[in-house]
Amino acid sequence: MNNINHNIESPKEKQNRHKAMEAIKLLNTLREDFKAPISSMEYFYDLFERVHCKHESLHDDKTKIGTMCIQIPSEIIYALDGVPIRLCNGFYTDDEIGSDLMPQKACPLIKATVGHFASGNFTDKPDIVFSPTTCDQKTKAGVTIESFGYKLIDIDFPRTKESEASREYWRRSVKQFAVELSRFQGKKLTRTSLKNAIKKIGYAQSLYHKLSEFRKNELVPILGLDVFLVTNAFFFDKIDNWIEATEKLLSELEIRAKEKITVSGKASPRIVYTGSPPIFPNYKIPLIVEQSDAIIVADETCSSNRMFNDMVAVDEWNIYDMMDSISDKYLKACTCPIFTKNEDRIRRVIQLVRAYKADGVVYQAFAGCTVYEMEQRSVLEAMEKEGIPIIYLESDYSPSQGGQLSTRVEAFIESLKNRRRMKK
Amino acid sequence: MLNLKRKINNMNLVRFRFWFQIVAFLIIVYGGYVGLDLGDKLPTFACVYNSEGTGGKCYVGMLQHDLKHPLETFMGFAGYAFLISLAMFIAWFWVLNKGWCGFVCPLGTMQDWLTALREKLKIRFSEYSWANRSKIKSIKYILLILLLIIPVMISNSIGGLPKLPNGLSMPFCDICPGRMLIPAFTGNFNQFYIDFSSKTDLVMTILGMMIVGLFLVGSFIKKRFFCYFCPMAALQYIFSKPALLKLYKDGAKCTKCGDCYRACDMDILEIADDVTSKNLVTEDCILCLKCIAACPEDGCLEANFIGITIFESSKEGFILRMAMDMQKESHE
Amino acid sequence: MNYFVGIDIGSTAIKITVTDEHKRLVGFKINASGSMFYKYAKETLQSLLDELHISQDDIAYTVATGYGRKLFKEADENISEITANAIGAQEAAREYGEIKTIINIGGQDSKAISLDSEGNVVNFAMNDRCAAGTGKFLDVVAMNLEIGVDELSDYHFKSTGTPLSISSTCAVFAESEIIGLLGSNHSVEDIVSGVHYSIAKRIVKLVKRVGIKENVYFDGGPALNAGLVHAIENELGKKIFVPEYPQITTSFGAAVLACDAFKNMPEVEREF
Ligand code: SF4
Ligand code: SF4
Ligand code: SF4
Ligand code: SF4
Ligand code: SF4
Repeated sequence: MNNINHNIESPKEKQNRHKAMEAIKLLNTLREDFKAPISSMEYFYDLFERVHCKHESLHDDKTKIGTMCIQIPSEIIYALDGVPIRLCNGFYTDDEIGSDLMPQKACPLIKATVGHFASGNFTDKPDIVFSPTTCDQKTKAGVTIESFGYKLIDIDFPRTKESEASREYWRRSVKQFAVELSRFQGKKLTRTSLKNAIKKIGYAQSLYHKLSEFRKNELVPILGLDVFLVTNAFFFDKIDNWIEATEKLLSELEIRAKEKITVSGKASPRIVYTGSPPIFPNYKIPLIVEQSDAIIVADETCSSNRMFNDMVAVDEWNIYDMMDSISDKYLKACTCPIFTKNEDRIRRVIQLVRAYKADGVVYQAFAGCTVYEMEQRSVLEAMEKEGIPIIYLESDYSPSQGGQLSTRVEAFIESLKNRRRMKK
Repeated sequence: MLNLKRKINNMNLVRFRFWFQIVAFLIIVYGGYVGLDLGDKLPTFACVYNSEGTGGKCYVGMLQHDLKHPLETFMGFAGYAFLISLAMFIAWFWVLNKGWCGFVCPLGTMQDWLTALREKLKIRFSEYSWANRSKIKSIKYILLILLLIIPVMISNSIGGLPKLPNGLSMPFCDICPGRMLIPAFTGNFNQFYIDFSSKTDLVMTILGMMIVGLFLVGSFIKKRFFCYFCPMAALQYIFSKPALLKLYKDGAKCTKCGDCYRACDMDILEIADDVTSKNLVTEDCILCLKCIAACPEDGCLEANFIGITIFESSKEGFILRMAMDMQKESHE
Repeated sequence: MNYFVGIDIGSTAIKITVTDEHKRLVGFKINASGSMFYKYAKETLQSLLDELHISQDDIAYTVATGYGRKLFKEADENISEITANAIGAQEAAREYGEIKTIINIGGQDSKAISLDSEGNVVNFAMNDRCAAGTGKFLDVVAMNLEIGVDELSDYHFKSTGTPLSISSTCAVFAESEIIGLLGSNHSVEDIVSGVHYSIAKRIVKLVKRVGIKENVYFDGGPALNAGLVHAIENELGKKIFVPEYPQITTSFGAAVLACDAFKNMPEVEREF
């Protein structure tokens, strides 16, 4: 019986196993714990399982262009024959690794991202990383990441979006980005390739919008969690596969809407979700919300709505105008809390509440994400003025902590149900 | 009904406008040949110098004429005539509001053609710098005031100043690019001349020539170059508020994405950034409706005619217009 | 011939170990403890001595340890189970090397003990607030999966998929989680390895509180489960030493102490 002969995992194997365990746990919950599962969601469950549990790489044959935030235009990356891989990370395993490299109170998303780089353990390792200077922590994390030997280029991003000066500034940054990338790829940006890329991403966005339309229905046919998964998949999936899978999902939803199949309960309050982005597999708060008999009908987060909502509009389909359109879209429409003022974000949340007939708003910030934490006040005030119930939650990536949060969320959701009853 | 509305919202505005402008151009520039006469109070540059072809006449020309009266007569019948003309101008104007500029004005159309040519040649447009932008805005008002005052000063001495020479009787027409360019479309190049008869005429006709050159070059490199300075636009704007056709915005739905601004040939920032006003027909707006076509938010911008929405922004329409509705790649 | 007895009266079992004067293991016996500690303890000791053909008179010294140590009045001495565990571990691993860290998973608690280079306990951490991560928990798991506790290891090594972790820290909730997983047709193998890794993660957290120093020793009944050993090693990223009879380290430690205590006694006192 004495010491059994088996090998001990390497740190890499251990990290992979931990991440696989995190991933499969969420995936199984999504697959099994909710009523009326959607069969075409299986593509997405399987995709995440393949990548995070079986460590399959998807883009062996392509140059992988890592991006640290949504402001790096994917259109240009596709036009230059690269694959954008968004590196925002949601794994607790990586968060723990990153914790040793970052200040204690840093944002878990950053810690996880840095931890991921530190481990160097990628299924699709980025060949080059572009980091827009958005929040302080991301901006500074670039240096740490570079110190691990990655090629990382900062892209200057202005933090006041109202001024015309910042429009000019950002247009120049985007041009610079295109130049850097084109040099790296040894390819020239052509009118046709850029046009095709814009149209392809526009098409993907149009699918997202169609998906959102279903969530306006009184009988919501899809979970907010599933939608988060679909949008998260866009971070790294092969875009054509993603498009095909989403098209299938849409046709299934079409049928569901006709047959009045819903994933929500009779009295489930409708929730708009805003704040720090839920990134796979950190769906802690959305999970609590939807397990407490509420349904997320819309969100205002950079891992989902903000990534898809706004579309590039081109007036003259020549490179000069396409580039400007792309730049403007990524700056002007963005509701990221890193901007000085952010009336737009408040207006967006209110508009979402109206358009999706939501009963309340869940605002969550990662402990350590200063910008979302700071904006909480003004958003709460604005919601109060509008008479929209809102709850503010702080969370991190750790798997514990669930009990307290769920008690608060449940109480909030029950209060929303009460409000509804009172109205009737 | 719903279906029709959807069709309209999904329309290809660029094509619609292109053909509409051509038809309007034909009517205004060649209508005279088929006996068309829309009167002489049109709120658009239907040039009187295109005497045979024109399907109506420009009110700016008329206005200068109306004002060239001694005060005494002006207090009498000339004054009435002036007021009636003005009322008719306003009546015409109210139908389309600034839409006259975006859809009818031949000078506007010509500029759009030059823009299209430039676009085909893949030459980047230029823009006014933001510092100069606000200064430019006032020029059209200055021109308007001048064209109102000069004719009056020909017939009257104001504040003891000497009367102005008769050569200035149509001061704006002298420098209006329409005077040379519009008749040219009917093969009439008579207006391309320099008048040596008097010093005033000499200066004015040379200035006119230069402005035509500027018009052609300017609007090739800058979209709607001339419209920024157009006194007609200034005159129109004074009466714009009660007009029947409106450009409305529902600020709550606006994401300030700026797509509308990018489409706007007049670089009107308010169209994207103003989320509190309802009426978005600003002084430079030519009501071309391009912004509506470029806005991806359902029901955020709309063209409204006497309270009825006739064309509004929609996601579906946007996607169709940007050809993002299908996954097809173009290979050029 | 003198024999030495170590009695560990725990909450779930009574473990008795007998050694000779060279601290060599002569025999041991484990019995459920139940409500009457004292009675059971005496009975168990008697039956063990009978089996080994040793008479009461040959017992030179007896040391009791465990929760119920104070109840066993016949003992010459009693010591805490932490100390006993530490002594037992060092003796059991004498040939393997110096033990600095001990992991013990008992029936209803788990412990991590840190030793200095002289073998003194310098720090320890214990989890006794809930059953998850204890032997009891493994029993419950095995029962729910309808397999024997001794089969857990086999299932663990047969797992090919991603281990399915259990998030509840409470055994009762964990039980319903497992039933849920079974209900959705997940493989028993993946559930078992998931349970092992969940326990292992919790244990490693506990060990981290006292600091991980080589070598690491693992005892307690669950240490017989090679799958669990594997999981803990992976979580620690280190090999750990598991003795031949991990279930009795503590009572063995008590017996070893009895041996030492007897040797250090003045000659005269030995007679009594
Ligand atoms: S969650 Fe906050 S701190 Fe973290 S990356 Fe996003 S904005 Fe920055
Ligand atoms: S010259 Fe210009 S202002 Fe004068 S009538 Fe012709 S178009 Fe009108
Ligand atoms: S502003 Fe432009 S379109 Fe309008 S009347 Fe003047 S020249 Fe014509
Ligand atoms: S395009 Fe529409 S949504 Fe975007 S800024 Fe203009 S009006 Fe607002
Ligand atoms: S605001 Fe709209 S209608 Fe007005 S000029 Fe600009 S694009 Fe045309």
